[in-house]
Amino acid sequence: MLEEKLSYFINESKKLKESDFEKVSRIAVIGSFTLNGLAETLQVKCAKSNIFSHIFSGGYNRYNEEILNSNSDLYSFNPEICFLILDTRTILEDLFYSTYDVTENDRRIFVNKKFEEISNLIKFYTNKSKSKIIFSNFVPPTYSSYGIFESKIEYGLQEMIHDLNQKLSNEFKNDPLTFLYNFNGFVTNHGLNTVFDYRQYYLGDVKISLEKIPYLANELMGYVKPILGINKKCIVLDLDNTLWGGIIGEDGFNGIKLGHNDPIGKSFIEFQKHLLSLHKRGIILAVNSKNNYEDAMKVIKEHPNMILREENFACLKINWNDKSRNLREISQEVNIGLDSIVFFDDDKVNRDFIISVLPEVLTVEMPKDPSQYVPTLLELTDFNVLKITEEDKSRGKMYREQRKRTELEKSTNDFDEYLKQLNIKLFIKNADEFTIPRISQLTLKTNQFNLTTKRYQEEDIRNFSQDDKKIIGCARVEDKFGDNGITGVFIVDKNNKEWIIDTFLLSCRIIGRGIEQGIINYIISLAKKENVSKLTANFIPTKKNQPAESFLPSFGFKKLNDQWVYQIENHIDSTTSHLHISKEE
Amino acid sequence: MNNKLYLIISRVFNIDISLINNNSSPKTIDTWDSMNMYVLINEVETEFGIKFSLDEILEIQNVQNIENLLVKHGCENK
Repeated sequence: MLEEKLSYFINESKKLKESDFEKVSRIAVIGSFTLNGLAETLQVKCAKSNIFSHIFSGGYNRYNEEILNSNSDLYSFNPEICFLILDTRTILEDLFYSTYDVTENDRRIFVNKKFEEISNLIKFYTNKSKSKIIFSNFVPPTYSSYGIFESKIEYGLQEMIHDLNQKLSNEFKNDPLTFLYNFNGFVTNHGLNTVFDYRQYYLGDVKISLEKIPYLANELMGYVKPILGINKKCIVLDLDNTLWGGIIGEDGFNGIKLGHNDPIGKSFIEFQKHLLSLHKRGIILAVNSKNNYEDAMKVIKEHPNMILREENFACLKINWNDKSRNLREISQEVNIGLDSIVFFDDDKVNRDFIISVLPEVLTVEMPKDPSQYVPTLLELTDFNVLKITEEDKSRGKMYREQRKRTELEKSTNDFDEYLKQLNIKLFIKNADEFTIPRISQLTLKTNQFNLTTKRYQEEDIRNFSQDDKKIIGCARVEDKFGDNGITGVFIVDKNNKEWIIDTFLLSCRIIGRGIEQGIINYIISLAKKENVSKLTANFIPTKKNQPAESFLPSFGFKKLNDQWVYQIENHIDSTTSHLHISKEE
Repeated sequence: MNNKLYLIISRVFNIDISLINNNSSPKTIDTWDSMNMYVLINEVETEFGIKFSLDEILEIQNVQNIENLLVKHGCENK
């Protein structure tokens, strides 16, 4: 993908007004060299995701003071995300040029010292601040004064940097606050000779050339998006010339290009393989294509070289309807917001139509040349998640089960009867080491059935779970078609005789089966045991959480000033006879 | 004649193209600071497909200097 020029971002950033945005974020960028233009580019890129960002740019090579001085501007800025970008020249000091003036042992001591310095710095920061930190790894020099003999040297220049990178990577592997950014990978992609421009280095200590700043910002957005919960969950695909070459209605089953003996056909196979690997880690796939259903399904089911099959799609809209209508239906049936969808279509007319009618969908500007589909897909930073849980990996299976539920619902006339037939089991569990990552993940990404939309990181949930004034629970839902996994979360503040619901959310795929009532009944049963008289809930409206709004009055909560209050003494549990509720230890 | 260069200057310094002439310099354009100057050089180079030497960059005092460099590098400024 070709990025806009840096001057575009600098100018656009001046036009942004905080008052035009609903969401605001705070991002810090600190480092060992000049990163001019990065702040502006990040601001514009955040704005494209409807977020206004305040950016703190650290002073030139002042990252040590900024982190180690608790009164520094960095801490008063109070970022949610901090990027720490370091470079090999700075870290190696004179050893960058005269590596072999010291002994092998001293080189090892030097790397250990640097490792300690950097990891202590990062730990100091994460202890002091509430923010996540993303720090770059180091680019191993490709040049050595020893030339081809470099590889014969024990613990030479390149090995030192590889070792430092490896040590840092190991140190923070299990730290949910800290992420190692593969800056070396960025340099490999773009080439050291284009990323590092000696003239810019001499002129202004610029170590990432100005024209590459927008590309760097794009990669950093790959962290910003999941941290702020604006990542995408679903890829909707056209078929003709998107998943295979040619048009099935004209070229026929044997005429489309999807084969190993044909360069065009290979592009589509490779594209499908990458889509499948995204699907296997939790990205939902769906089809939106203007075609005869039978023609297209025959390819999906029977074509020997097809990689993606019917079971990989949560929804297949193959018809002659307007594509925006199909997208809306996919969003409803799969139960995710339109702004969680990425749309791939080779036809520019279709794309422009969707961009104008459904601007919340990310419509990818697909290149004309199918050989460029894969790089286009791989450059998208929108599918990143901070944690891949077991629920993510089995999502594909869950959506298949969901299709079966919909079929049962359609074949059963009476909704209560349908619920009974589902044989739903609700297992409620308190937060523990196994469930904390998933609980945090659900608070970060659930938008629709979410009363307060409070976003909590893993460490927040871990802290809450140690507070005996709070109940942190989650719900696992199972029925005759399968296990939905942990799909509900509640956090209750115990305030003597009044319990306050801080968070109550359900994953969209289990809404409308009485599970919400079941969980509230469970909370009430706990409250009764402690002689609590009322349960109070707040509803904080967002653009998306209307589905949660009507729940409170329908359950019997009464609006009192700005809060919803439920008098526990009046409670009759009558709504959830179809559920089998139990507590899991 | 000066269209392409002026367009880049107008974009980088975020000023109206009518305010640019060959005598324009950091003295007449407020936004012409050292950072924007590097951005300007970078974008002139990319759009004309050339690379200036460090010497040449350090010589630049005004728009006329850039135009002279373009002529020197054999660029057609249209």
